[in-house]
Amino acid sequence: MGMSRIECIFFSEFHPTLGPKITYQVPEEYISRELFDTVQNKLITVYVHLDNYIISLLMDQTAMEKKLIGCPVCIEHKKYSRNALLFNLGLVCDARTKTCALELIVKKLSGYLTTLELESGFISNEESKQKLLPIMSTLLEELNATGACTLPIDESNTINLKLIEQRRDPLIVQEYDVPVFTQCKDHFIKSQWDLTTQQILAYIDGFRHIQKISAEADVELNLVRIAVQNLLYYGVVTLVSIFQYSNVYCTTPKVQSLIDDRSIQAECLSYVTKQGQKRACLRDVFQLYCGLTPGTTVRDLCSRYSQQVQRVDERRLIQYGLMKALIRRLQKYPVKVTRDERSRPPRLYTGCHSYDEICCKTGMSYKELDERLENDPNIIVCWK
Amino acid sequence: MYIHSSSFDLQGERKSMYKQSENSFFKCGEKTSPISVILVTSGSRGNKLLFRYPFQRVADCTSSLTTKQRSPYALNTTGDVLEDPDGDSREQTPLTDEQLVAGFSDIILATILATKSDMCGKKFELKIDNVRFVGHPTLLQHPHTIQVSKTDPSPKREMPTMILFSVVFALRANADPSVISCMHNLSRRIAIALQHEERRCQYLTREAKLMLAMQDEVTNMTETDGSPQSPFRQILPKCKLARDLKEAYDRFVKTPYKIMYLWIVSLFLQCRCNNRVCCVSSLCTTGVVRLHINNWLEVSFCLPHKIHRVGGNHVPPEALERSLKAIRPYHALLLLDSEKALLAQLPLDCSPALVRLIKTCSAVKNLQQLAQDADLNLLQIFQIAAHLVYWGKAIIVYPLCENNVYMLSPHANISLYSPLAEGFGQQFPSHDLPSMLAKFSLPLSLSEFRNPLDASVQEAQLIQMVVWMLQRRLLIQLHTYVCLLVPPSEEEPGLLRDEELPLVARVGGRSLSTPSALSFGSPTSSDDMTLTSPSMDNSSAELLPGGDSPLNRRMTETLLASLTEHERQVILNIPAAQSPEDLRMFARLLHYFRGHHHLEEIMYNENMRRSQLKTLFDKFRSVLVVTNHEDPVISLFQSPLG
Repeated sequence: MGMSRIECIFFSEFHPTLGPKITYQVPEEYISRELFDTVQNKLITVYVHLDNYIISLLMDQTAMEKKLIGCPVCIEHKKYSRNALLFNLGLVCDARTKTCALELIVKKLSGYLTTLELESGFISNEESKQKLLPIMSTLLEELNATGACTLPIDESNTINLKLIEQRRDPLIVQEYDVPVFTQCKDHFIKSQWDLTTQQILAYIDGFRHIQKISAEADVELNLVRIAVQNLLYYGVVTLVSIFQYSNVYCTTPKVQSLIDDRSIQAECLSYVTKQGQKRACLRDVFQLYCGLTPGTTVRDLCSRYSQQVQRVDERRLIQYGLMKALIRRLQKYPVKVTRDERSRPPRLYTGCHSYDEICCKTGMSYKELDERLENDPNIIVCWK
Repeated sequence: MYIHSSSFDLQGERKSMYKQSENSFFKCGEKTSPISVILVTSGSRGNKLLFRYPFQRVADCTSSLTTKQRSPYALNTTGDVLEDPDGDSREQTPLTDEQLVAGFSDIILATILATKSDMCGKKFELKIDNVRFVGHPTLLQHPHTIQVSKTDPSPKREMPTMILFSVVFALRANADPSVISCMHNLSRRIAIALQHEERRCQYLTREAKLMLAMQDEVTNMTETDGSPQSPFRQILPKCKLARDLKEAYDRFVKTPYKIMYLWIVSLFLQCRCNNRVCCVSSLCTTGVVRLHINNWLEVSFCLPHKIHRVGGNHVPPEALERSLKAIRPYHALLLLDSEKALLAQLPLDCSPALVRLIKTCSAVKNLQQLAQDADLNLLQIFQIAAHLVYWGKAIIVYPLCENNVYMLSPHANISLYSPLAEGFGQQFPSHDLPSMLAKFSLPLSLSEFRNPLDASVQEAQLIQMVVWMLQRRLLIQLHTYVCLLVPPSEEEPGLLRDEELPLVARVGGRSLSTPSALSFGSPTSSDDMTLTSPSMDNSSAELLPGGDSPLNRRMTETLLASLTEHERQVILNIPAAQSPEDLRMFARLLHYFRGHHHLEEIMYNENMRRSQLKTLFDKFRSVLVVTNHEDPVISLFQSPLG
């Protein structure tokens, strides 16, 4: 996990006589005296002003192109020489690093240290405090190397840390969406997932849509949607649209990546080649993609480029194109333009609902819907 | 969406654009808007918080710190959607913006936000739990000579000196990095203006004194009657400024926070604002701020991510910048407002070149023509165009011409009941938007669009309709790209060996004039502004018209040398290659055939006609693959897909 490299771990405290100071740091001499002076009131002394409430603050300070993340702790007790123990275990990383994952680590660490101090006076005891240095080196090493760290401190306390990757919010999964695995399904370790996911797993083949999966796997529709959304969040699946031979697609500027990017090229060619056939050639595949123009259905494409399609599985061709956004689907949106005041406003034919959605909602087939709409002079169909 | 109701309808049309994405607006508004604005200073009397808005609730003051004590293992559930893997914690009500900053007392804020002087002049960013503070601490050079005025009887040492100050915005911690840098930029601009005003007439010192005096008064009062009160609240009945703030708050209490706070800043900084309502409403709709600090210095600012929106998606500022750098002279500037409206919005002291450009600008003129007509140099045109685009007053398109092919943008709102459709109906009576959009379901060239209705009066109207739809980003333009792909030979089908393909790499590595290397349209830097013709290097072939001279033949051979043996063989076997002229033209254009240059660009760079190119493509169609899609450079303005 190279995404959030920790450059330094430091332990600073408010010394009863010397004031704020950095007691330990790994690697040594990483934080200079000057840098520390500039930021010390942010990292150390803040909680003095908070009237000695125990408070955990997370902060990162863009100074000297580094981010400092700390979580100051203040433990109040008569036994301490200033009636309080003030310390802070913090991290330094590059200013451009996304720190969300690291912040959680810092916060958890400060919790561990607080517990250790309350239970055994780990930090106030000079002898046990020395143990911090090897602990910090191990943390730095293991977190940078593996993104996780398990470190027993004493018989009752073990530090468990893991960097959790930040991901984007997944899209909302609609009943007409088709989930498709981004990687080979064989790599998927079934037992790691929940029961619902395990049950629908077999039905995720890149062609069945959510509603169909729900019906065939006998799982409630919303449960399927949530399970798929979860898979989407972890990047295990991505969503494409329902495949039909009457569908129309068009190329996006990204189709160019097929020419420019050799890894996509190789991946694409092996993905779209029919099983048991010799690998399709780039020219054919690129021609097929470019043959997808508005007004050309997949059926048209197959008959127009019958020679090129010989070694290519057109369904997987479309699937791959959609997954990598080399192409996009042109959906039909019926709009009912009526000048008649008496008729009630259209519910589905407002231009907000695509054919896919209407068919899924009403249970009509594409053809039935087409026939019904063709007979209505007030209906306009937009493709977009 | 309160901002769209009643009193802010100054920009009716624009408003209608934004209505289509109300939900996403609000969702986004939460993340992009500052939740508080704070003015802190540091000086001989220590760190002071001069002003913060919104005021703290009294209850919050006392309870917030105790509520802060919670399990160190507790996840931050406050609106940090990033940390919420599967939406389980969504039910918990996230803290409101107000609650987020209320936990910090004035003293704490003063301590943590007022920096040491060696951090001045740099970006200041501090994140505490879920709040991110962004500011630009600024040093005040205090020339003591100014303070010792002969008429001033007060002894100098009693004057408290202000060493530095900072206008800090509090944002939600998960705000987008580009938003953070925008807010930093605003803070910096205000700081520069304040610094200047301080130097000129000690404006800040004066204002600070007034505020501190008020605060002291309130503190004394609190001590006597014993009830803890927010000083800013107590200031209310005594201070005209505070009443202004309260009035503003009561009146706009339901507007999105961002507008409120910026509005407050403007009130606070200028005390008297001549066109308040106008200022606020334009902010609502456009995300643009224009303040006059001390009624003197103008601070203008815009949040590009608020202005540029396509189908509910905000265009990130850095993507905008990337696109602006890629503008070429054959592009055109499409103003999003009428000329009159735009001119009226300009500040009094704006550059005359800007006015001239706006007056001569047209959607059918490319930037080069525009430069000629406005009598400005191309670099200047680029800069002004980039400026207008950044401020959301214009977008970049390919100039309108007969052969332009348009189709519906995937983000186009074709809803029957949209305000867009209404606006269209008002602008073009007797036409309705859905049926007009339906015409562009299939790609349609302007000449085809025009054909069915022949009268020339209507033709002008049809062009206006297309312009109208382009301004509202309902259409995308398709361009033709060409890629050289030779059918594989029989022995080695399919698999591409390493030395084969990518043509890009091989051709690009040569000294051939690669058009992409000529950063023609970079409006931001003047040094790489090469105005030489991109065809300079190889146009010598053209200098010898016709004739199958040995020189020509050698030239062709050299150009084809970048290809593999197999590719060369296949090309030379094409019937058209037997004509030396065709082959020479093909060879000359070879470097355009890798899908990075659309037809119009080749035409522009090589000074060729469309028909010439089309014929050539046709002759060599067995080795070329033609594709149509939008121009990625300007598609940002039409359909930001990826």
